[in-house]
Amino acid sequence: MLTHQMQLAWYYFTQEYRQPHQQLLRWVQTILMVFIVTLSLSSNTIQQYLQQNLQRLLGADAVFTQKDKLTNAQFTSLASFSDTVVETMQINATLTFNNKWQRTKLKAVGNDYPLQGKLLTSRSLQSPVTIAKGGPEVGNIWLDSRLFSSLMISVGDTLSMGEHNFMVSRVLIHEPDRLMEGHNVSMRAIINIKDMEKQAFPTDLIEHRYLLTASKSQVQQLIEWQKVQLPAAKIHHKNGYHPLASFWQRTENFLGLASIVLFFMAAIAIEQIAQVHVKKEQYFSAICMSLGASRKTGLQLSLIKWIINILVLIPIVAILSALFHWLVVGWLSETFVEVSWQVDFWLTTKTIMTCVLLFAVFHSAVWLNLYNTSVAKLFSQNPKSTSLGLVKLCAFVVLILVAIKYSDNALLTMMLVGSIAITILLMAIISWVVLTLGEKVSQTFSGLIPFTLFMMKQRLLSKSTQILGIGLSTFLLLFTLMLLKDLGDTMASYQRTHDGNLMVSQASQSQMKAMEQWSKLHNIGLRQAKPYLYAKVIKINDQSLNEFAQKPSDSLATLSNPIRLHWSEKLPMNNHVVQGKWWQIETKNWQQISLEEEVMTDLALSLGDKLTFIIHQQNYTFTITASHAYKPGAGSITFWMQIPKAAMQHINAPQYNMASLELNEEQWPLLSQLWQEHPTIRMVSLQELTKQFDDILAMITKVISGFASMIILLAIIVILSSINALESKEKKKNSVIMSFGFLKGTCLQLNIIEWLITALIIAIGAIAGTYLTGMLIYQSQFSLSYQPNLFILFITLAIILIAVTLLGVYASRHSLKSSVKRLMADV
Amino acid sequence: MPCSIELINVTQSFSNITNDSLTSKNINTKDKTATITLFNNLNLTIYQGQSYAITGPSGSGKSSLLMLLSGLEKPSSGQGYFTNNNHTSTLDTLRSNIGFIFQQFHLLPELTALHNVALPLKLRGDKHAIDKAKQWLEKVGLSNRSQHKPSQLSGGEQQRVAIARALVFSPKFIFADEPTGNLDQNNADEISDILFACCQEKNASLIMVTHSHALANKAQNIFSLADGVLTKASSNHATDVNELANNLLTNQKQVASC
Repeated sequence: MLTHQMQLAWYYFTQEYRQPHQQLLRWVQTILMVFIVTLSLSSNTIQQYLQQNLQRLLGADAVFTQKDKLTNAQFTSLASFSDTVVETMQINATLTFNNKWQRTKLKAVGNDYPLQGKLLTSRSLQSPVTIAKGGPEVGNIWLDSRLFSSLMISVGDTLSMGEHNFMVSRVLIHEPDRLMEGHNVSMRAIINIKDMEKQAFPTDLIEHRYLLTASKSQVQQLIEWQKVQLPAAKIHHKNGYHPLASFWQRTENFLGLASIVLFFMAAIAIEQIAQVHVKKEQYFSAICMSLGASRKTGLQLSLIKWIINILVLIPIVAILSALFHWLVVGWLSETFVEVSWQVDFWLTTKTIMTCVLLFAVFHSAVWLNLYNTSVAKLFSQNPKSTSLGLVKLCAFVVLILVAIKYSDNALLTMMLVGSIAITILLMAIISWVVLTLGEKVSQTFSGLIPFTLFMMKQRLLSKSTQILGIGLSTFLLLFTLMLLKDLGDTMASYQRTHDGNLMVSQASQSQMKAMEQWSKLHNIGLRQAKPYLYAKVIKINDQSLNEFAQKPSDSLATLSNPIRLHWSEKLPMNNHVVQGKWWQIETKNWQQISLEEEVMTDLALSLGDKLTFIIHQQNYTFTITASHAYKPGAGSITFWMQIPKAAMQHINAPQYNMASLELNEEQWPLLSQLWQEHPTIRMVSLQELTKQFDDILAMITKVISGFASMIILLAIIVILSSINALESKEKKKNSVIMSFGFLKGTCLQLNIIEWLITALIIAIGAIAGTYLTGMLIYQSQFSLSYQPNLFILFITLAIILIAVTLLGVYASRHSLKSSVKRLMADV
Repeated sequence: MPCSIELINVTQSFSNITNDSLTSKNINTKDKTATITLFNNLNLTIYQGQSYAITGPSGSGKSSLLMLLSGLEKPSSGQGYFTNNNHTSTLDTLRSNIGFIFQQFHLLPELTALHNVALPLKLRGDKHAIDKAKQWLEKVGLSNRSQHKPSQLSGGEQQRVAIARALVFSPKFIFADEPTGNLDQNNADEISDILFACCQEKNASLIMVTHSHALANKAQNIFSLADGVLTKASSNHATDVNELANNLLTNQKQVASC
């Protein structure tokens, strides 16, 4: 019996294969599956790579990292968990040579380095690579090859740092403990550990790393010891997570959230296509039932046909995904060195199956209708469809669940889903208002426009579905493109509006004083200066950070490192209070803290929660009394966490400053003098910032362009699907109009007017939706003030009008191929 | 002088079989592609104000003849003319003067009866479309069903709406394809009476294709199309507007009059 049904289903599948509704369905399913499978494969490749990277590049069984040097007692305890301990130090410093400077990660090692693996160097850039049996001699420095070209320096040259000179003796090729190798773009240099001690760098800026050999149980003991004794320290070990694992998961989550947009569009397209499916399959099923078949047969046939369709697609999806995966891996290999492409059959299958399950939910409306079909449908001219509210609700809930699963930023997800909901509501209202008012107002006029408005108003329900479908697609497309453009524009204008063209991100009190004198001496404008100290959050409401927040987020990633804690008597000019109350001037209650709005949302914090910090090896607890947000127009330096000035009477810790300066062209070379004297001042010029941003933007542009092209493709399919869904109705309407003595030209005119009105509603809705979303998301997520350009908006409006109308009219050409004769033949 | 439609020496043939309803036995098998000739050198004149019935077996080309007369199709050879106020032109100019009634009614399902009737007037920009549509619904006895959608109307009621829709913009010629083909006898009689009476009142010519002898007999001119030949079966002058109106009043009291 089943074989017969499969044969029959196969026969109908082949018969329907070239029909538009089947073709559209295949397109939607293929596009979405290829995207999701490629995404999963690429993510998996990176995760595997990170795991291997951790194994190969830890350079020890465990690495213990801490800001401060361990005391003798602490070191003895640490050494008790290990057979061998090797100490290294690391600091961010700026190396200068002949008026050139380059920010560098400077490492200091002894003769016992490396612990595991090979330290590779060479005598010159062209010489063969050799294995070094220890770090550089005292007074020597090894630079990585990029530093040679950046500083235009050669082996044998002497480089000054502070008051000491170093001889450049070798080219640094590879350090075995460079865990971040593939992902860290900082240039690197190595000196002897004794030289680091002579340099008198601020001790709190030096990162101390201890490489250990340890068994699994020793590592476990070490972790337990660290949790109790040194909670601010970090341990990486071979059985643990890669430091970038959490970052990558967030990237994945972001891409996942972006794919929600595609899921939404696919759901819209499938919903539109399902209207045609319902009609055709219900009719076929009713015919079967009238010939004695059971209701189950129709349903089974439909299911088998749907499965055949999916089975036909799977090889295509698998091949295309593998191809795109290969391309993505090639592209990622620029960032993740040595990442390699390989087929993952199990993951491909698993991902495809998940997609298929989602498609089944979207398609269930058709099956529910089939389940409720009867022979009576053949006799009834206008059969009532089963209420599909429940099915649509299910599909919507599924989409929301997928969105929640992928989200690591509750605020952004809420805003995105909220914006979609608002846009849907907005378009429904605009459709109703435009068509109702249009029809009412135009009643007194004659012509094709009033008639079109009248017809559209009469068909409000089916028309609204079409408008919402295309409108939502247009909104998503528009928002994606606007975001890309505005990010670029904002950075381009940053140079003009930014206060100062040199940002100082870290200067100690003495460095700040030196900088003030230096700027005064050379008449350089010091625009802003705000003090801060480094603090590491260790507990929230007496729970450790990882216990409190388990979902990776931007805020959590930042809080796992020491953050900059700013103190201020008054609310800074570039902040405003979002909730709670800012402390009073000269308050005695110093244990108050204000947190940035997004941190509060990401970590689900509320007023009254307690944060415990380690500041310079002391614990301090603060209660959240306010939440603030950035307000543009009064300088760009802002802090996530702020405490009252009174707190500084109770905290003993090194203080630093953030500042901005304005240098003219002639003053730039003077910087090398400042850096030579104070190599650890962290400064970055706007040009460098812009360049960094340009690189990021170029990468984002690639990703968003690919993403936008998928949205455009899906938007076209949504338009075609919505037209396909209404085609039979349109054909009949055109034939009836011709039977009143009108020409095809009139039908074409009506069609154009209808699409113009549809496009106008869509354009207004999409632009309004984009505007609202911009207002909601820009400020909170990208720290951009959303200032839409009216001219651009009008241009966009015109483009949407033209594109949707042309596409709509072109795609509707089949419905214009109608005739009165067809009505006569329609018996 | 009344308007008229004239077909002179019209031949209609197709190079292949495209529509089952148009099949004929006159297939020219000499050509590689099968050619169907529906009729040869056909001559026919239709006058405004008169009623015409075209009968014949299925596939004889009745519907095609209707399409030729309405100017919606071009003949393979021969000419068609439309004469209006002594001015003669091709049938292309006839378009704004014709209306259609179909066997399947073809009302637009999303519109109410009233809006279906108002549709052609609205398309022509008539500001009083709704008022006129209401009058017409009253004429066909459906004033109490004006706000109902086609799915809420019976077959007979739907055809009445279709008649009102076809006549509301006062066309000079009404083409009807099996207008009672989907209705029971009682409804068919009632509808045909309304149709004839309304056309008479508006001085529109009614040209219908039918298998029903009862319906055909109500027409003033009856033609039979078979084997490619059109034959005039009879002229029935007894049916005049008064008689139809009387029948109408007798049979269906609720239908006011046309």
